[in-house]
Amino acid sequence: MDEIAVRFEHISMAFPGVLANDDVSLDIKKGEVFALVGENGAGKSTLMNVLYGINTPTDGRVFIKGREMTDFDPKTAISMGVGMVHQHFMLVPSFTVAQNIVLSREPRKGKVFFDNAAAQRKTRELVEEYGLEVDPAEPVEELSVGLQQRVEILKTLYRGAEILILDEPTAVLTPQETDELFAVIRRVVREKGMTVIIITHKLYEVMAISDRVGVMRKGALVGVRNTSDVDERTLASMMVGRPMLYDELEKTGAPGDVMIQVQNLTVRDNRGLTAVDGLSLSVRAGEVLGIAAIEGNGQSELIEAITGMRKIESGHVTICGQDATGLSPGAIRDLGLAHVPEDRLATGLSRDATVTDNLLTGKQRRPEFNRFRFHQRTSTIERYARELYEKFDIRGAGTDVTVGSMSGGNMQKVVIAREFSFDSPVLIVAQPTRGVDVGAIEFIHSRIIARRNAGCAILLCSADLDEVFRLSDRIVTLYEGKITGEYTGPYSKQEIGLGMTGARHDGKEAAS
Amino acid sequence: MLEDILGSIFSAGTFNQMLRSATPVALAALGGAMTEHAGIMNIGMDGMILMGAFFGVLGSYLFGSAAAGVAMVLAMGVVVGLFFALFVVKFRSDEFIIGTALNTLALGLTSFLSRSIFGTAGTKGNPALPTVHIPGLDSIPFLGQVLNDNSLFVYLTWALVLVMWLFVYKTPYGFWLRASGEKPETLRTAGIAPEKMKWLASILCGLFCGLAGAHLSLGQLQGTFAENMANSRGYIAFACVIFSKANPVMAFVAALMFGFFDAIGLRLQDYISSDLTNTIPYIITVVMMVYVVVRSQRRKRRAGGRLTRKQA
Amino acid sequence: MKKINWGYLGSLCISVLLAFAIGAVILAVAGFSPLQAYGAMIDGAFSNARHVGDWLEYAMVLCLTGLACVLGSRVGIFNVGGEGQLLLGAVAACQVGVWLTGLSAWIVIPAAALAAMAVGGLYALIPGWLKVKVKVNEVITTIMLNTIAASFCQYLAKGPWKNPNKNMVAATAQLDTRYWFTNLIPNSNLSTAIIAAAVITFLTWYIMQKTSVGYEMKLTGQNPRFAFFSGIKTDRLVILCMVISGAMCGLVGMFRVYGVEHLYRSSISNQYYFEGLTVAMIAQYNPVTVIFLSFFFAILKIGAQGMELSAGVPNQIYLIIQTVIIFFMAAESGIFASLRAGAMRRRARADIRRKGDESHA
Repeated sequence: MDEIAVRFEHISMAFPGVLANDDVSLDIKKGEVFALVGENGAGKSTLMNVLYGINTPTDGRVFIKGREMTDFDPKTAISMGVGMVHQHFMLVPSFTVAQNIVLSREPRKGKVFFDNAAAQRKTRELVEEYGLEVDPAEPVEELSVGLQQRVEILKTLYRGAEILILDEPTAVLTPQETDELFAVIRRVVREKGMTVIIITHKLYEVMAISDRVGVMRKGALVGVRNTSDVDERTLASMMVGRPMLYDELEKTGAPGDVMIQVQNLTVRDNRGLTAVDGLSLSVRAGEVLGIAAIEGNGQSELIEAITGMRKIESGHVTICGQDATGLSPGAIRDLGLAHVPEDRLATGLSRDATVTDNLLTGKQRRPEFNRFRFHQRTSTIERYARELYEKFDIRGAGTDVTVGSMSGGNMQKVVIAREFSFDSPVLIVAQPTRGVDVGAIEFIHSRIIARRNAGCAILLCSADLDEVFRLSDRIVTLYEGKITGEYTGPYSKQEIGLGMTGARHDGKEAAS
Repeated sequence: MLEDILGSIFSAGTFNQMLRSATPVALAALGGAMTEHAGIMNIGMDGMILMGAFFGVLGSYLFGSAAAGVAMVLAMGVVVGLFFALFVVKFRSDEFIIGTALNTLALGLTSFLSRSIFGTAGTKGNPALPTVHIPGLDSIPFLGQVLNDNSLFVYLTWALVLVMWLFVYKTPYGFWLRASGEKPETLRTAGIAPEKMKWLASILCGLFCGLAGAHLSLGQLQGTFAENMANSRGYIAFACVIFSKANPVMAFVAALMFGFFDAIGLRLQDYISSDLTNTIPYIITVVMMVYVVVRSQRRKRRAGGRLTRKQA
Repeated sequence: MKKINWGYLGSLCISVLLAFAIGAVILAVAGFSPLQAYGAMIDGAFSNARHVGDWLEYAMVLCLTGLACVLGSRVGIFNVGGEGQLLLGAVAACQVGVWLTGLSAWIVIPAAALAAMAVGGLYALIPGWLKVKVKVNEVITTIMLNTIAASFCQYLAKGPWKNPNKNMVAATAQLDTRYWFTNLIPNSNLSTAIIAAAVITFLTWYIMQKTSVGYEMKLTGQNPRFAFFSGIKTDRLVILCMVISGAMCGLVGMFRVYGVEHLYRSSISNQYYFEGLTVAMIAQYNPVTVIFLSFFFAILKIGAQGMELSAGVPNQIYLIIQTVIIFFMAAESGIFASLRAGAMRRRARADIRRKGDESHA
C-alpha cells in the first residue's frame, strides 16, 4: 500500500508574471484517492499539468512510479500510465464516443485505414468491464455532460491509465451524477488498484471520497493530512490562510412594487433546444431573488432573454411596469435595468479598451460627457472614471491601461462599478464573484446589499450556493428550464439541492 | 431562338466545358478543405493558384518539359505552404491579413518575374500537359464526348478527390486533422501536437492550389502565363469549401456547379455580352454563400422541435 | 494622438528596411542592379514637378481608400469590395456628367458626387446587410462583387454608354471640359479634388477619434457582444459604416474621373483599393498612421513607375516590397511574444535558483 505512484520534488512553475507553483514537494501513494484542494488560482491545475507533461516545470523533479521524468510530453505521460480528465472536456464534439476514445491510438485496417468496427468493439469491452454504460456509436455532441465525463474516463482507461487525475470533475454534475462518479472512483481503486488524484474546491466532496488531502495556497503546498484527521473547517482555514468568517450582512427595508415580471417565458439555446420552458417569476423593489441551479439548466438563457440579449420565443417580460418583451438591450436599459453578465470577458468588457473607456460605456451619450451631444469632453470623462476607480476600490495601474492587463477580480470590479453606478431601479447580477479573490468577494457582496437596501430589485444568479444563500431574500430552484421550487430563509441545503435536481417542491410548479 | 439557346446549353460541349472549368476550382478546394479542417481560414488560395500557374510555365520554359513544370509547381507548393504556416501557425498572425497579403505578394511577384523573364509580351506555347484519350469511351454517344480527351489533370482531380475523401474520413490521420481544427487541445492531450497537423494541412493546400494553377497555365492555356490569371478562382474555391463543409466529394460537386454556370456563361456569349455572362459564376458564388448560412439556420430551427437535451 | 507609439514606429522602420533588402535580392535574382533600380526609383519620384503632382494625387487615393477600409474594420467588418464600389462610383459619376451636359458645374459636380456616393454606398450595403442580418462572411461576398462590378462597368463602357466619338475599346463619353477639376500642377494628375479629400480625411479622423459615435464604433469593433450588451445598436452602426465606406470609395472613383481621366475606362483604378487596404493593414487600422503612410507608399509607387520607364525594371517590385512589409508587421507581435516569453522564463528560473540558494545558505 505504501508504494509511491507519483513524487514531486521542489517543483516550481513560473508563467510570465506569476509563480503558479512555488517549491512543491509531494508523494502520492499507489492505490489511494488523493484530494488536492485550494482556491481558484492556487496552482492545483498547474501542478497536475506538470505531471501530465503539458507544463514543463521551471525547476524541480517529477517521478512517476519511481522513474524520473525530464522534459516529457503528454504522450510519454500517457505511456507511463497517467490519465487526466480535464475540467473542460477534451472531446471532439462531431466524433462518436468510440472515435473519441481511441483518438491517437486508433485500431487500423491494413496499416492505413481507421477500423471503426474494432474501435466500437473495444469501447464496448471497456464499457462492460467497468460498468460505465454509454453508446459507442453516439456522437459526443449529443450526450449530456455526465455522459461526456464518462467518455473521458473511458478514454483514460483505454490508454491504460493507472494514475487517474480528475480536474474539478463535479463542477458540472448533478448530485446524482456526482454520486455515480464517486462509485466509479471507489470501484477502480478497489478492483483495479488505481491511484486517483481529484482536484476540487468542494470540501464536503473531499471528506466523502478521499483518503488523504493536500491543500494549496498561492502556488505553495501548505499541508497534507489524512482525511480522517481533519474536518471541513480546518481545511477551509488552511485554504484561505485565515479562518473564513463572513460578517452578517445588514439587510433593511421592506419589499416594494414588482419591478421585474416574467410570464410564461420560453427561450431557446444556441443549438435551438428549449432552454427556458414557460417560466414565470417576479422580483420586488428592495428584494434579492436568487436563482439556484446547476450549470446548463437555463439560467443563462433566462437572464439573456430578460436583458434583451436573446430572442424570446413566447411569453412576456415587464421591467418597471413597462413591457420589455423583444426590445433591444439598449431599450431595456432605458427602462431602468443594469446588468452584470456572467461572462465578463465575452460580454461585460472590452479587453482592448482602457479602463476609462470601459467605465464610460452606456453613458457615452450623456450631455455631461459631450459637447453638442457629439464631441467628447475628454477631461470630464477621465475625471469621472477616476472617481469610480476610487469608489469601487479597483486596484491596478490606473485608468489609462487596457482592461485586459488587469487581474480577474479587478476586471469584475470594473464591470460592477459601471453597472452599479447607473443607480438603476432594476439590477441583474450573474456570477458576480466567479474567479474573484476572497477580499474582493466581501466588497462585492456588500455593494450588492447596499443596492438592495437602497430599494433596487435584484435578480441574482450564481453557481456558488453559499453566495446565493448569503445574499438572497428569496430563492427559486431551476431545473431544465423550469422552476422547481421557491424558498424563503432559513434555507436548507438539502431541500434546495433536491429542487436543483428536478424534485418538485410544495407542488407549486406542477406543470408537465 | 430560345430553342437554339437551350440546345447550345445542354450540349455535350457545355458539360465538357463544365469539367474543364471546374477542375482548377476543385483542386484548390481540395487544398482549402485541408486547411479548413485544420481550423485555418485560408483566403490566400488565390495567390497560391497564381504562383502555381506561373512556376508551372517557368519550369516548362526553363527545362522544356511540362513534367519539369509540374515538378517545379510541387516544390513551390511545399514552399508556399510552409511560408503560410510559418506566419499563421508559428507566429499566430491574423489569417485574414496573411491571406490577403499572400494574394497581393503572388500578384506582384509573378507579374514582376514574368515581365523580367519573358518581357511585357509574356510567354506562350511552352510545353503543355497532354490530353488523355481513352480508346473505348468514344463509342458511348453523349458521355464519350463529355468525358474523353480532357487534359491530364481533369482525370487526376477525380482520383485526388477520392483519395482525399478517404484520407479525411477513413484514416487516423484524417481524424487527427479534423480534431486539430475542431478541438486542438484534445489532440494535444492525446499526445499529438495539433500544430503538426496544421503545418501538414498548409503544405497540402499549397500543393493542391499549385496543381490548380498548373492546370490553368499548362493545361487549359497550353503553356501560357497571363498576369492575374487565377482571376478570383481561389475565392470561389473557398466558397466551395464552406458550402461543402470541407468534404472533398461535396467540394467537387460545388466546383462542378461553378463549372456548369461558367460553361453556360460561355455558351450565352453568342447572345449576350461576354462581360455580363462572365459575372454569372460570381453571382452564383454569392448566392451559394447565402444559401449555406440560411441552410444551417434552418437546420437549427428544426432541431428546436426536440424539447430538452438527451439525458443519461 | 498625444502619444507616439515608438514600438510600432521601430518595427515599421525595421520592416521597411528588411523589405527593401528582400526587394534588392529579388531584383538581383531577376538580373537587375538593385542600387541602380533604387536610384532610378528616387529619381522617378522627385526629378520632376509633374511627379510631385502625381505623388500627391496617388497619396490622396491611398489615403481615402485606406480610411474607407479603416472605417469598416473599426466596427469589425472588412470591406474588401472597395474596388467594385470605386468603379461603379466612377462610371455613375461620369455618366451623370454626360447626361447633364449643358448645366452649370455647380449643379453637375454635386450631382455627380452624390451619384457616386449613392452607387458606392448601395453596392456596399449588399455585403453589409448580408453580414449583419444573414451572417454571411463579407470577405468572400465583397470580392465576388468586385469582379461582378468590374465586368458590369466594362459592359457599360463597351455597350450602352460607349464613347461615340472615339474608337477606344472600352470607354464612356468624355466630360465637357468645364466640369473638369482644375489642375494644380501642370501635366500632373493633381487637381482640386485633393482639397475635398483633405476635408473628408479630417472629418473621418475627427469622427473616429473625438466623438461619441467614434467611441461606439471602436467598442463595436473590439467586442460586438459587449457593445450590443451596453445598448449600442450595433447592427445599424455596422451597416452604416459599411455604407459610408462604400460611399467614400465611390467618391474616389468620381475624383479619378473628374480630376484625371475625364471619362470612364478601366484605368480609372488598377486595384488601387487593394493598395489602400494594404496601407490600412500596415497602419494596423490607425487612421493617423494611414494618412502618413499614404504619402510614403505613394512615393514608392510613383518612383517605381519612373523606375520602370528609365531602368526597365517592372514596377511590381513596389507591390512585393509593400507585402513583405505587411508580413513582417503581422508576424512582429508573434516573434516578439515568443522572444519575450523565453526571456521571462529564463528570468523566472534564475529567480527561483537564487531563492533556493539563499534558503540553503
